[in-house]
Amino acid sequence: MANNIHADQLYIDGLAKNDSLIINSVYKKFVPKVIHYIKNNSGNEDKAQDVVQEIMILLFNQAKAGKLQLTCPFDAYFFLLCKRKWLNEIKKISNQAVTIADDYSSINESEQQLVEQTEIFEQKQLLFDDMFAKLGDKCQELLKLSFTIKTLEEVAQKLNVTYGYVRKKKSLCVGQLTSLVQETNRYKSLKIN
Amino acid sequence: MNEEQYLLFENYLNNDLNFEEKETFENELKSNNEFAKAFEIYKDLNGYLQQKFQTENDLSAFKQNLKTAAGTNGHKNGKIISMKQAFYALAACFALLFGVIIFNNLNSNPTFEEYYSKENANFAERGDVIKTLKQAQDAFNKDNYQLAASLFETVLKSYPRPEIEFYYGVSLMQINKYSESEIVFNKLIQGNSAYKNTAVWNLALSKLKQKDYNSCKEILKTIPKDYEDYAKVQDLLDHLK
Repeated sequence: MANNIHADQLYIDGLAKNDSLIINSVYKKFVPKVIHYIKNNSGNEDKAQDVVQEIMILLFNQAKAGKLQLTCPFDAYFFLLCKRKWLNEIKKISNQAVTIADDYSSINESEQQLVEQTEIFEQKQLLFDDMFAKLGDKCQELLKLSFTIKTLEEVAQKLNVTYGYVRKKKSLCVGQLTSLVQETNRYKSLKIN
Repeated sequence: MNEEQYLLFENYLNNDLNFEEKETFENELKSNNEFAKAFEIYKDLNGYLQQKFQTENDLSAFKQNLKTAAGTNGHKNGKIISMKQAFYALAACFALLFGVIIFNNLNSNPTFEEYYSKENANFAERGDVIKTLKQAQDAFNKDNYQLAASLFETVLKSYPRPEIEFYYGVSLMQINKYSESEIVFNKLIQGNSAYKNTAVWNLALSKLKQKDYNSCKEILKTIPKDYEDYAKVQDLLDHLK
């Protein structure tokens, strides 16, 4: 696996580190093509910027989670992600007549796979966000504490309860989230590896 | 899925199971599909929550950088700056740069802005107090210190806690209400909360902001060397000499 990583992984690593030079070079080298495409396909500059920003944030999150290893050139991957995001946007507002110039062929398998993985990552995040919002206030607070304070011992101290109690509570809250996620059709429809 | 099972997941992930329990668990993963699926989601959620809460600040810094990059690459609202404008902008940058260098040489005292680093408030309280506290927290995190100070003040009336007092003090300092903020910091300094040393540091910063360098120095000297941010204290002391 490791030797299949493309040299462009440096862009992914740079985004995860919030390296402004890398961010800038993405904007210089790869964004103009996306803007051009969206402008020529029923969009405008502002909408194109929104798409770019959403994809950049998605890549940041996925890279931070350590789940993004580039096996193809960044250019093709990034363009395809932005393009698909834009096409989905158009679908959502499809009561307007749209013309899509879809002349982008030559997608190879590894690009497609990678794009798919990123899209699954995004859907999972959205699903988890939605389910987290369904948890009760107490669980939300406890989870927030458990994942921001270094150790559960400190959480227990802060809440003035025992370590055992916090751990049990935490497992129940994550458990509750687990069943909420399991119950949705959205999760079932995600292709989980 | 029952409660016991979730606790078991938690213990397995924390490596809290003994050898036998671990073996039983792993056998169950192999043979029981439902169990394995639930565990997979549980593990996934743990990763998600960790990222959600631990990279919150990184993410907002990243968004800020995105904005800057979009701006400098001339994309905002489709405006591309002309060569002439670029020339003037560049000339202005140089003028500013020289100005800053000369100014810094003339005025070598450190500034508040160089040493103050904002830490966002992140409260997790319960009960009735939560609403106002959350509003105060939001105001603080968005740099709206005037509003934050008055909301923190309200909360403190019914719910005095060192953590809240600390953020109240910082808000007051930010809006230049020095005497009031120093009262708050001094109270924390006399107490025994986790905010004791941070309060001393902020009291020193308050003096720095007022350009009262001597008091700043004297206060800094009272901070014990085992303070977690002592490097910053030392650095400021060095620059104040």
